[in-house]
Amino acid sequence: MVSTPSTLDDDVRVFVYRFMVDNERPPMPIEIGTALGTGSAEVEAALKRLADAHLLVLAPGTPYIWFANPLSALPSPYPVVAGGKQYFGICIWDALGVIAMLGEDGSVTSLCPDCGDEMTLLVRDGEIEPRDYVVHYAIPAAYWWDDIGYT
Amino acid sequence: MLLFRAEDHRDKWLAQRGLRHGATLSVVQQWDLARTWYGDNRLSRDWRRRTPEEAQAVFDSLGLTGPFWNLSP
Repeated sequence: MVSTPSTLDDDVRVFVYRFMVDNERPPMPIEIGTALGTGSAEVEAALKRLADAHLLVLAPGTPYIWFANPLSALPSPYPVVAGGKQYFGICIWDALGVIAMLGEDGSVTSLCPDCGDEMTLLVRDGEIEPRDYVVHYAIPAAYWWDDIGYT
Repeated sequence: MLLFRAEDHRDKWLAQRGLRHGATLSVVQQWDLARTWYGDNRLSRDWRRRTPEEAQAVFDSLGLTGPFWNLSP
């Protein structure tokens, strides 16, 4: 069956997420194309459409995945351990989102940007500890996608 | 979205950079937002991105209201 752009985009999106969950890294377009039986140029076009629709984010000027929220392709200050694997979230929301998306127990370890003390959040059976840290949002919600990397 | 040890650490960090306070969530609020937002079966082929109205409804359901959380200012 020939994939239309819409079905190809769905196929690519799902493949990207499942690949990142399984392999702790994003797939390259050639890997996606090989798996889906289509050319890497078609895959790159699909990735561009997905990025334009804010379904994932490409590294600037490239066809390579920067993040597929909540999973970040690159190391970040918010490493996550869940399901026996290590991932990264681009921010604390996404780091906790990885645990939520996988439906696993997990942890996020980071440093306080002010004092440098290590902080570890543990999620067990849907409950999070400790509870006395705070999360600051700098950018109002309406402007998050103006510069999603900064947000 | 940055995680701080406490509000006074947040305030000091912002002041040193001349940045204004935006919005602050407790860890529990952040976890509730994360699991509502991302516990949406996005590994499924049937997943669809929320409309702005649906996203706004998520914020509203968690008490995240006011101009900062308004997606259509």
